Amino acid sequence: MAEIVLDTVTKTYPGITSPAVDALSLEIKAGSVVTLLGPSGCGKTTTLRLIAGFERPDAGSISIGEATVAGPTAWVPPERRGVGMVFQEHALFPHLDVASNVGFNLPRAERAERVAETLELVDLAGYDRRMPHELSGGQQQRVALARALAARPLVVLLDEPFASLDADLRVHMRAEVRRILAEAGTTAVFVSHDQSDALAISDTIVVMRDGRIEQVGSPREIYQFPHTRFVAEFVGRTNLLAGRIGEDGDSVVTDIGVAPCRHTHDLPPGTPVTVSVRADSLELDAEGPLRGVVREATYTGRSIDAMVEIQLADGGTADVLVHAHPEQVITCGDEVRFRVLPEFVAVIGEGGPG
Amino acid sequence: MSRSRLSIVLLLGIFLLASAALAGCTGRDSTPAEAPEVSTPESLVVYSSRNEKFVDPLLEKFTADTGIEVSVLHAGDAVVNKLKEEAGNVQADIVIANDIGALEYLRLEGLLASPGEVEGIESINAGYRASDDSWIALSARTRVLMYNKDLVSEEEIPSRIEDLTDPAYGGMFAITRGGNSGMIGHVSALRYEWGDERTEEWIAALKENAGAIMEGHGDIRRAVGAGEFAFGLVNNYYYHQQLAEPTGNNVGVVYPDQGPGEMGAVVNGAGVGMVAGGPNPEAARVFLEWVLLPENQREFSWASLEVPINPEIEAVPEARPISDYVVHAMPLRELGTVWEDTRTLIERAGLDLELK
Amino acid sequence: MKATLARIRARAWNGQPPDGRLSVVAALIAIVMAMPVAYVVWRSAFAGVDRWARLLDTRVPGLLWSTVSLAVGVTAIAVALGVALAWLVHRTDLPGQRIWRWTLALPLAIPPYVGAIAYIVVLGPRGWVRDWLGAPPPVSIYSFAGALFVLAVFTYPYVFLVTGAALSRMGRAHEEAARSLGLGPLGVLRRITLPMLRSAIGAGAVLVILYVLSDFGAVATLRYTTFTSAIYYQMGGFDTLSATVLSVVLIALTLLVLGAETFGRRRARFHPSGAPRPADLVELGGWRWTALGFVVAVLTISVLLPVGVLVYWSVIGVAEGALDARFWGYALNTAQVAGGAALVSMVAALPVVYLRSRHASLASAALERLAYAGYALPGVIVALGLIFFGIRYLPWLYNTAGMISLAYVVRFLPQAMQSTGSSLALVSPRIDEAARVSGLSPLAVIARVITPLVRPGLLAGGALVFVSSIKELPATLLLRPAGFDTLAVRVWVEASESVYYLAAPAALVIVAFSVLPLKWLLDRY
Repeated sequence: MAEIVLDTVTKTYPGITSPAVDALSLEIKAGSVVTLLGPSGCGKTTTLRLIAGFERPDAGSISIGEATVAGPTAWVPPERRGVGMVFQEHALFPHLDVASNVGFNLPRAERAERVAETLELVDLAGYDRRMPHELSGGQQQRVALARALAARPLVVLLDEPFASLDADLRVHMRAEVRRILAEAGTTAVFVSHDQSDALAISDTIVVMRDGRIEQVGSPREIYQFPHTRFVAEFVGRTNLLAGRIGEDGDSVVTDIGVAPCRHTHDLPPGTPVTVSVRADSLELDAEGPLRGVVREATYTGRSIDAMVEIQLADGGTADVLVHAHPEQVITCGDEVRFRVLPEFVAVIGEGGPG
Repeated sequence: MSRSRLSIVLLLGIFLLASAALAGCTGRDSTPAEAPEVSTPESLVVYSSRNEKFVDPLLEKFTADTGIEVSVLHAGDAVVNKLKEEAGNVQADIVIANDIGALEYLRLEGLLASPGEVEGIESINAGYRASDDSWIALSARTRVLMYNKDLVSEEEIPSRIEDLTDPAYGGMFAITRGGNSGMIGHVSALRYEWGDERTEEWIAALKENAGAIMEGHGDIRRAVGAGEFAFGLVNNYYYHQQLAEPTGNNVGVVYPDQGPGEMGAVVNGAGVGMVAGGPNPEAARVFLEWVLLPENQREFSWASLEVPINPEIEAVPEARPISDYVVHAMPLRELGTVWEDTRTLIERAGLDLELK
Repeated sequence: MKATLARIRARAWNGQPPDGRLSVVAALIAIVMAMPVAYVVWRSAFAGVDRWARLLDTRVPGLLWSTVSLAVGVTAIAVALGVALAWLVHRTDLPGQRIWRWTLALPLAIPPYVGAIAYIVVLGPRGWVRDWLGAPPPVSIYSFAGALFVLAVFTYPYVFLVTGAALSRMGRAHEEAARSLGLGPLGVLRRITLPMLRSAIGAGAVLVILYVLSDFGAVATLRYTTFTSAIYYQMGGFDTLSATVLSVVLIALTLLVLGAETFGRRRARFHPSGAPRPADLVELGGWRWTALGFVVAVLTISVLLPVGVLVYWSVIGVAEGALDARFWGYALNTAQVAGGAALVSMVAALPVVYLRSRHASLASAALERLAYAGYALPGVIVALGLIFFGIRYLPWLYNTAGMISLAYVVRFLPQAMQSTGSSLALVSPRIDEAARVSGLSPLAVIARVITPLVRPGLLAGGALVFVSSIKELPATLLLRPAGFDTLAVRVWVEASESVYYLAAPAALVIVAFSVLPLKWLLDRY
C-alpha cells in the first residue's frame, strides 16, 4: 500500500523559468524509508516541502494515506497533514526545554506519557528539563526526531538531518535513526545530497536531477546498476567508457578490453553503449588482463585511489580510477595489472560517453 | 485544533488589551465624544484662544463655584478653524475668544447657538453681544503702541498707525503674526478706513519695516520692556501687564491716531460664545450665567488687566476708560462679516506665516 | 476572472500567499499607517487651481528657499562636525576616547526644540550673555543663523555615529597600502579614508536632512519659518486646504531626498569590509590638546550648557513648586499616550514584519513601505491628515488621547518594526515550519512560538516608540483634546511665555527618558 503518492506534480518558483519539480510522479510505500538524493537544485527539497505542505504545487496532486492533501481542488495546510518533520538545523524551539519541545502541541492528557515514551525511544530519558542550547549536536538531533515522532505521524520527513553533524557522529546517528524509525514503524522520507547517507539509511533511493526522477531503486541497484550517466557519476566514483555489447550478451567490449557485465538491459550484441565501471570493480591482480602505469595515488585510509594510465589498442591512452586495498603499496610510476569484477559494471545507455 | 484556536484568542486578547489601554487614556479625559447625547451638567468643554494664564483661574473658580468639571483646550488662534472643522462632530460647548470678529464670524457660519434666556445678559450693552446672544463681549482692548522709555521718548515713536511703515522706524518695533486675532481685528478696521488696496500695501510694507514678527503679544511686551525693541504694537492691557513686572517695566504707551480728523484707536473685545450642538448645552448655559455675575465679569477683565465692557464693573486702576480717548468708528459686530476677507487679505499681503 | 485574480495574488506573494487573516491584519495596519499622509495628498487635490497657483507663485518659492537652505547649511555643519569628531575619536590617540564615543552621541537625547529654548535662555535678546556682557550677541538667535546653529548642534551625532561605525569597521589594509605607495597621513585621509567613508557620511547626512525637513519645534521656537511651521500656522490661522498644498510640496521634497539616498546607496561601491583589525592610531602630537579642547567645546555647547540651563531653571522651578499635581498630571498623560503608542506599536509591528520576513514578496514589501509612510514625513503632516481623516471617519476616536497615540504609532511604528525585524531575523523560518507540522495554524505559530522568541526586539521597539512619543511635539499640539496636555506641550507653552522655571522641569524629564534608547542606538552603530 502506498502511503504517499505524488502524481505529475509540478512546481515552478515565480521569476524562475525552469520548474523546480517537473511533472514528478512517485509512490512511497507505507513503512519504507525513502531518500530523495541529488545535487543542490535538483528539486529534492522542494519535493519534501511539497509533501509537508510548505509549498503548493502548480499542477498535479499529492496524497498522504487516504487523503489528497494537494491538488487542483484540494489543499490541506501543513498543520493538518499528520506529518512529522526533522529539519537540517533541527529547529528546536530555543525557548522551550526538551520535554516541551517533544510535547509541543500534544493533547495535554497524553503529553507526559508520550514525551517520556518518545524520549526513551531516542535514548534521551532524563533530559526533559534541558534547554536545547545545553545539548550536543547528536542530542539535538534526537530531540528533533523525538518531536517529529511524538504525535505518531503517518510520515516523517527529514531534511538533510545529518548535514550539520560531524563525520563520526553522522555514521553513528545514521544507524540510530534507522533503528528509531524501524521501532516507530513510520514511513520516512529523507532529503540528502550525500550518497553515503542515502545508501546507508534507505530502503529506496530516488535520484533526482533538474526536477525529475533519474532513477528509483534500492541502494544496491542504484550503486551497482545506475541507469544513467548522471546516477553513475553522482553516486560513488566511476569510470565511464565507450563500448559495445559483446557477442555473448554478458560482456561489453571497451577500449580497455572486454569486461564481464550482467546488466546489459538485454541489448542486442554489437549495440554501442556507455559503460560504467566502478572504481571498486577494478581489482589489482598480478594476473589481471589489463595493465597500466600509475599516474596518481591518493591514500584515503579506506583505500588507495589510483589513477592508472592505460595504453589503448589504437595507440592512445585512457585514465581509469582504481580503488586498491589500503595495505598495498602503490607509488607513482608503478606498472600495475588488474582485472574487472562483473558485479559493478553497468551499461547505462546507448551511444558513447560523449 | 483547539490549541490553535486558543492562540488566536490569545492574539485577540493582546489586541483587546492594547485597545483597552488606549481606552484607558481616552477614558480619563472626560471627552464628550464618547457620550454626545448625554447633557450632564457635570462637565464642560471650553476652547479658548486667550492666554491660558488668564483663563485657567477663571475656569477653576467656575468649577469651585458650580462643581462642573471643565476641560479646556488652549488652542490660540487655531480655535476658529478647529470649530469650523469640527462642525460635523462638535466637541466644544463654550468658546472664549480674543476677537469679536472671530465670534461674530462663527455665529454667521452657524457655529454658535443662542443660549435662550440668560440671566444677567442685559448687563452687557446690546452693541457688545450677538443679536441672538450667542456671544457676549466682556472686556475691551485697544490697539496701542507701547514703548521703552529707556530707549525712546513719546515723541520719537509714531502717533499714527499708518506711520509704522515709515522707514524712519525701520527695525525699531515688533508686531505679531498676521494670524493673530488682535491683528485680524485691527486690519479689518484699517480696511474699513482705507479700503483693501491701501491696506494690503500697508501690510506688505509693515512686514518689511518691522524689526520682529512674533508669535504673540506677550513676546512683544517682554521684548519692549527688555529694550530689544523701542516699541511694539500691542493691546493696551499688555502695557498694563508690563508695568506690573518687577523688571523691564519702564514702559510708556501711545494711543494712536488721536489727532483731529484721525481715525482713532482701534478697539476690540474679548468674550465668550456658546457653541452650537455642543455636548453639554446645559453646562454651557450655566457657564454663561455664571460668567455674567459681576464678580466674574470683573475677574474676566482683571486677570489680564483689561477694561470691562460693563461700565458698572470697576476697572483696573491703571486702565484708561474708553471714554478717555478717540475710538475708531467701526461697529464691533462688523468685524465678523469681513473676518474671512481680512484673513484672505492678510494672506495675500504675505503677513500670514512668517515669524522673524 | 477568478483564475486571473488567483494568479495575480500568487505573483504578488511570490507564490507563497500567507494566511488570509494575517495578510488582512497586516494590510489593515499598513493602510492605517499610510492613510493620514495619503489623505493629505488627496485633499490637496481639492485646493483648486487658483490656490495651487497662488501658493506656488507666492509662498512656495520662499519656503523652499528657507527650508532647503537651512537643511543644506545644517547638514554641512553637521557633516563637518560629525566626521571630524568620528575621526578624532576612532582614529587618533585623543585622550579619553571611550568616554567621548558615547558622550558625543548624547545630544540626540535633547530634542532640538528643548535645545532651542536653552539657547534662547543663553543667547536670546534677554539672555544670560546679555546679563554678563551687557549686550546680546551681535547675531540674533531668532534668525537663520540661530536655527542653523541649534539644529546643527543637536543633529551632528547622526553623522558622528554612522561615520564612526564605518570607521571602526573599516580595515586598515587600504590605508596601509596607500602609505606603502607613498602617500602621507593627510594624503591617506583625503584620498583613501574619506572617499571610502562616503556612503556612511551620506547616510548620516540624509538622516540630518530628513530631520531638518521635519523639525517643527526648534524652527518655530526660533521664529524661523520653514514648511513645517508654515503648515502649522496655515492650518491654525488660515485655510487648511492651503496647508495641504504646502504639505504636498514638503512630501515631494522629502521623497526627493529619500530617492536620492536610495540612488546614492545603489551607486556606492565601497563596502568597508574585512576583519576589523584595530586600526593604528594617528598620533596627534602637539595637536592632542587642541583636539581635546575641540571635543570638550562641542560637548559643552551640545550637552553641558543646555542641560545646565535646564537644571538651573528646574532648581528654581522646584523651589517655586513646579512639581505640583498639575505637573504629575501632565506626566501621567504623557506616559499614557506614549505607553498606549508603544503597546499598539508592539502589537502592530509583528504582523507586518513577519510577512516581510517569512513571505518576502512584492506584496509584503509594499505593505512594509506603506507602514513607513508616516516615518519619514513631518509630524505636522501626519497630524493634519489625522485631523482630516479623524473628523470624518473616526469621530469616536477624534479628540481623544487615543488620537494622539495613533499619531505616535503612525510616526514611530517603523522603529518597532526595525527592532522586531532584527530579532526575527535571528529566528530561522524552519522554527515556524516545525511549529506548523506540530499542528499549529499560522496565527498560532506567531502567538505561541514567534512572539516569545522576538520578545527582546518587541520590548526594545516598544521602548523606542515610547521615548520618541514622549518627545513628540507638533502632532501632540495639534491633536490634543481639551484638558489634555503632555509634558512636551507644557514645555512648548511655558517656553513661549518665557516661563522657563515651569518649562525646564518637564524638559528635563523628557531628556532623562531620551537618554535610555541611546544605548540601543550605540549598540546598533
